[in-house]
Amino acid sequence: MSLNIKDLPDEHLFTPGHTACPGCAAPIVVRNLMKVFGKDTIVYAPANCLLVFGGTYPYIAWKVPYLHEAFENTGACISGVKRAVKKLGKDSLVVGIAGDGGTYDIGIQALSGAAERNEDVIYVCYDNEAYMNTGIQRSGSTPFGAATTTTPVGKKIPGKTQNKKNMAEIMRAHEIPYMATMSIAYPKDFLRKAEKARDTRGFRYLHVFSPCPTGWRHDPALSIEMGRRAVESGMWTLYEAEYGRITDIYKPKRKIPVKEYIRDQGRFRHFTEEMVAKLQEYADHKWKQMYGSLPEEKPE
Amino acid sequence: MAAQTYALAAVMEDNYAVSFPFFGAERRGAPVMAFTRVDKDVIRIKTQIYEPDYVVVLDETLLETVDVLKGLKEDGMVVINTARRPDEVQLSREVNCATVDATSISLELLGRPITNTSMLGALARATGEVSMESIERAIMEKFGGKLGTEAGEKNARAARKAYQDLQVGMCRGGKDFVPRKEWLPTVQEMPLGGSIGALETEAGLVGIGSFVRNKTGDWRTFIPHVDHDKCIGCRMCWFYCPEGCITMEDQKAVIDFDYCKGCGICAQECPVDAISMERERR
Ligand SMILES: Cc1ncc(C[n+]2csc(CCOP(=O)(O)OP(=O)(O)O)c2C)c(N)n1
Ligand code: SF4
Repeated sequence: MSLNIKDLPDEHLFTPGHTACPGCAAPIVVRNLMKVFGKDTIVYAPANCLLVFGGTYPYIAWKVPYLHEAFENTGACISGVKRAVKKLGKDSLVVGIAGDGGTYDIGIQALSGAAERNEDVIYVCYDNEAYMNTGIQRSGSTPFGAATTTTPVGKKIPGKTQNKKNMAEIMRAHEIPYMATMSIAYPKDFLRKAEKARDTRGFRYLHVFSPCPTGWRHDPALSIEMGRRAVESGMWTLYEAEYGRITDIYKPKRKIPVKEYIRDQGRFRHFTEEMVAKLQEYADHKWKQMYGSLPEEKPE
Repeated sequence: MAAQTYALAAVMEDNYAVSFPFFGAERRGAPVMAFTRVDKDVIRIKTQIYEPDYVVVLDETLLETVDVLKGLKEDGMVVINTARRPDEVQLSREVNCATVDATSISLELLGRPITNTSMLGALARATGEVSMESIERAIMEKFGGKLGTEAGEKNARAARKAYQDLQVGMCRGGKDFVPRKEWLPTVQEMPLGGSIGALETEAGLVGIGSFVRNKTGDWRTFIPHVDHDKCIGCRMCWFYCPEGCITMEDQKAVIDFDYCKGCGICAQECPVDAISMERERR
């Protein structure tokens, strides 16, 4: 039986009092992940929003052993921590939680190395599609056309000119024991994958879509709704793979145009019909790529 | 952005001006600062401003925890976003004080509690050093260019309204600020291994789990209300609350307002619409 919301413990291992922006999805992600991972977990965070809103020395929201090192070496640090723990004769779960900047861009070498060595750790990427902590700079994860402070909307170039990098597929290609893409808008799926990662051995990669009201400029109340629309529009896909072989794909019950996804986000406000069409083309391509081989209707 | 816009308005009137933010994490809700320097001459000083002529306070909850008058010149003025009159505000000393309810103005004209443009109008009136017309032009250039003409005009209207509504007077003095005690041992002083467990110190609880003492409830503009007759105890809000400040008592959601930041996710996600958001009156 897989986990339900009602099975989660009441105790928070990531406490209230943290300083994330109102409506930020990242604390929802980490608090609920921790409820599944449990107390015998050691958490590592590189430089990112989570690091800062989760504590400023000497105050901290974590109730488990927690450490922080540099921005680029999450993969290396969690590898080392796990080996040290083993040496002490313990078997704590070791988890690294990095942003998209820390995963797609600066942290990719350490991550790839740890995955290739099949270290016994969980790597979580919470993906808010830009470097948010330092004030919204574009990352490899930022989608086409989005306005950030380093891809501003000018007269000639309106927002980011490249598409989002397909990081999840890069990780699948590492043929690790387990990888999954997730979204808190789908709690049952989210909890099942977290549990599966907890109970698997070897390198596990969890990639969680994490709307950011500050950087995406949407109403803070809509953070979950944005996660839902991302999946329904094909801008984000929920799937998982073991040793590189896809074992499950969640196909949403309906497909909405990307227009509905980008409508309430300020970072896409400048979109012309032409740009919408270009983003739609990307989403359609992804949709076909991911769901092409699936039957039309798939019950939940 | 507001600090830059004021600088731009000053430049439009043939002044020199510079503006820059305080260096640190800039995140919504967290206290942040920005500085603007205006002069008839070239400005060569590049430091933060320690002895301002004017202090603008966008969030009045700061008045409780921070002595906003620190460094303010004797004949300086503090401009506050509050529904109170200047003489109803108590600060560390008696100084020139101007107040305006920018939150209400912004909610009415912009539909959102973002008060920085309204406060620009208030500041223009308080300083008398730049005209309201230049503020409007600067807002159109800074905000209109980015958010579209319509949004620019709305913001300019909000500034104009705050300009008109500003009340000028003196605040009361005598409020005591006890500086927060700090506990910041260096690496050498840290317990062996460099890790801190939960520890009661003279600065309060530090270490593991100590952020629970950090009450974030004063960030709120809107407050959720749970209708217990409608609540079916499904725990959706409990799962989704970013603060983790919802508990279930007798199968009903109960919100801890010490932490609730008023994001509205619970109201949005409740499957039976048992939660509604209201403007909070403090
Ligand atoms: C080597 C290095 N370069 C730059 C920084 C500054 N820095 C701190 S956090 C951050 C952004 C993190 O972005 P991301 O990983 O996407 O996480 P987010 O803040 O968006 O959650 C940057 C650039 C740093 N700490 N170290
Ligand atoms: S900037 Fe975005 S990711 Fe960072 S704390 Fe704010 S909402 Fe969360």
